[in-house]
Amino acid sequence: MIPFTQNLVKFALFSLFFYAVSLIVWGLLSPQALKPNLNYRKGEGAFMYSRLQEAKEIENVDILFLGSSHAYRGFDNRMYSSKGYKTFNLGSSAQAHSQTLVLIKRYLERLNPKMVIYEVYPETFSNEGVESSLDIISNDNQDLSSLEMTLKINNIKTYNTFLFALGVECLGLYDDFKESMVKNKDSYVSGGFVEKKISHYEPKKFEPMELTFSPAQVDAFTEVMALLKSKNIEVILVFAPISSAQYRRYTNLKYFDSLMRSYSSYYNFNEMLELEDSLHFYDSHHLNQLGVELFNESILGVLADDYN
Amino acid sequence: MLFNSIDFAVFLPIVFVLYWFVTNKSLKLQNALIVVASYVFYGWWDWRFLSLIFFSTIVDYSVGVKLKTENKQSRRKVLLWTSILVNLGFLGFFKYYNFFLDNFISAFTFFGSEVNANSLNIILPVGISFYTFQTMSYTIDVYKRKLEPTSDFIAFSAFVSFFPQLVAGPIERAAHLLPQFYSKRTFDYAKAVDGMRQILWGLFKKVVIADNCAEFANLIFNNSADYSGSTLVLGAIFFTFQIYGDFSGYSDIAIGTSRLFGFDLMQNFNFPYFSRDIAEFWRRWHISLSTWFRDYLYIPLGGSRGGTWMKIRNTFIIFIVSGFWHGANWTFIVWGALNAIYFLPLLLTNKNRNNLETVAEGRLLPSLKELFFMLLTFGLTVFAWIFFRANDIAHAVNYISEIFSASVVSLPQFDGLNRAVVVLGLMLLFLIIEWAGRFGEYGIDKLGLQWGRPLRWTFYAFLIFIIGMFMKSEESPFIYFQF
Repeated sequence: MIPFTQNLVKFALFSLFFYAVSLIVWGLLSPQALKPNLNYRKGEGAFMYSRLQEAKEIENVDILFLGSSHAYRGFDNRMYSSKGYKTFNLGSSAQAHSQTLVLIKRYLERLNPKMVIYEVYPETFSNEGVESSLDIISNDNQDLSSLEMTLKINNIKTYNTFLFALGVECLGLYDDFKESMVKNKDSYVSGGFVEKKISHYEPKKFEPMELTFSPAQVDAFTEVMALLKSKNIEVILVFAPISSAQYRRYTNLKYFDSLMRSYSSYYNFNEMLELEDSLHFYDSHHLNQLGVELFNESILGVLADDYN
Repeated sequence: MLFNSIDFAVFLPIVFVLYWFVTNKSLKLQNALIVVASYVFYGWWDWRFLSLIFFSTIVDYSVGVKLKTENKQSRRKVLLWTSILVNLGFLGFFKYYNFFLDNFISAFTFFGSEVNANSLNIILPVGISFYTFQTMSYTIDVYKRKLEPTSDFIAFSAFVSFFPQLVAGPIERAAHLLPQFYSKRTFDYAKAVDGMRQILWGLFKKVVIADNCAEFANLIFNNSADYSGSTLVLGAIFFTFQIYGDFSGYSDIAIGTSRLFGFDLMQNFNFPYFSRDIAEFWRRWHISLSTWFRDYLYIPLGGSRGGTWMKIRNTFIIFIVSGFWHGANWTFIVWGALNAIYFLPLLLTNKNRNNLETVAEGRLLPSLKELFFMLLTFGLTVFAWIFFRANDIAHAVNYISEIFSASVVSLPQFDGLNRAVVVLGLMLLFLIIEWAGRFGEYGIDKLGLQWGRPLRWTFYAFLIFIIGMFMKSEESPFIYFQF
């Protein structure tokens, strides 16, 4: 029995070492098709790398934007700058609230905002957060909060990507990485916003859908709110505009609205703004630049009326 | 509790440590721990159905005790039928009630009558098809005086509920498994290591082969009307490997886990896709079930004795019942009947006992003739699996019609084709390992035993790495849980 246990422990340690080394070698050399459970995305997608590099430089903003792609594609920093606000946009693709928690634990103290505008797209509450976790792991340094996030998500993709990211960081393999500020139709704007070249959406029908709320994401959201409130930061929750067809598909929006109101000041801009699906959106739930301008003018109006 | 879950990864070491470090001093304690662990394992899914296993245990234990002292044949028969009716009654209700009701209604509607009856929302208790057959084998063997009934209730409970094989087999014979609970198990290093290796191989089959094949089998079968014949052929092949990887993978994990606790379970799969004829296939596929039906149904019906019509009748009965055992759907019955049609010519020409040895014995590769017959048998099996997987007969017929249309002569096209090519590569690697290991009890049974430890451990660690790289991120249950 003792030799069995001893050999089992030795084998476990050997396997762990072999796994880690293989992960790095395989991750560096093989095409994506041969590593479905390793998704290291440095510099891919929505400029998360550049955004986080900027977040390490900027201090003491007036307004911090948080949320999913509706945040970094919806809140145009330039419009706030023109009104004298210093802002930063810490949105990311499919950002679930468990990832928002990681980001504010890392950057809130430095950014030190007076106000947070937190974009709350309902489907982020049912999102497991795997894709968003890969985004953060790939584009930022690893620390205890990313380890904690990895353990909470408990997904093989996140585990593998975290281990790989840790390995390449220790080896300094991507220290000289530079990201292009223009990718296809997207341009990164200093401050975190991503502007898309104007395009228009052809509306389509959606099947009705009941929103679901993962306890883990609701807990994470609650923790984010508690952390922000503990720092005496004013929090405004915002449901950014989406196409009317998609908006109308949700059968329990009243519940969602009342849930958000129970946390803080909440503005559902789908009820406050009248936008045209084919004119102001480039897909079923993202504003094009025409829609972005109308949306941010409306927010600035709210700030001027209610928060000065 | 799924074998491929974190819950089981935590459960198993705890039970292992308790078993070998705490309860190893006493046989009764060892068996009691098995019972408790098994009930926890099963109750993790749904604790309410523990009552069924417990009731089944009580009934069959009591029948066994009574059969020991009862000599009057008529009363012995009553006791036996009590056990059979209780076990088959549970099985019939939970598994087949809605099937019979729906078909009853359809038949009456067909003849112009209306029947008002409501299907029940019945949950199928996981493993019921397996443990009921296992306990019936006990009472039948005791009745036939092939086995001494036990008076040790704890040992019997452990035999019925033994967690490694409780929910998806192998369906053990009491004569083989129950005596292993009568003597204290002592730790055997070689057996435990062998168990770990078999668990590793079972996990590879399940999470790398079966789950990845399932993605494409499901895509293609669920949208079969949208695809060409060539894509549908690929879908059928993916399902063929899904069901083999899933079910034999489960059996490997079950057998390997049992070895960790000092038990030997029967081999349930013996490389069936290398079979040269259907008779050989059925000697190698789900061995515990096919031998159960052979011993408790086929032989009592007369088996291969008697005239041609009796042989034909018994063959059809055995295969159709075997199909029906899998589920309450006409597709399983047709699958069974198809296999009977495949098997009969061999039986009637006395060729069903050819190919008793493993293919290409003493050679690296099969001969052309062997390869031809292997591919032919494989093709027939794949064809039959279409019925097994289809939603209903109409779905299967449409699926097959499209395969036999001109669209079969085209390149497959579906979402994720690139990923499917990778999965085909993994299947090839899997087949190579299985072929190399076909003389053992499982794919890597003998593989690497002559290598030095560093190389052997590297190979196992490589398998673990492949599992980590290709496993699906969502937990997926084993197919045979639905049976």
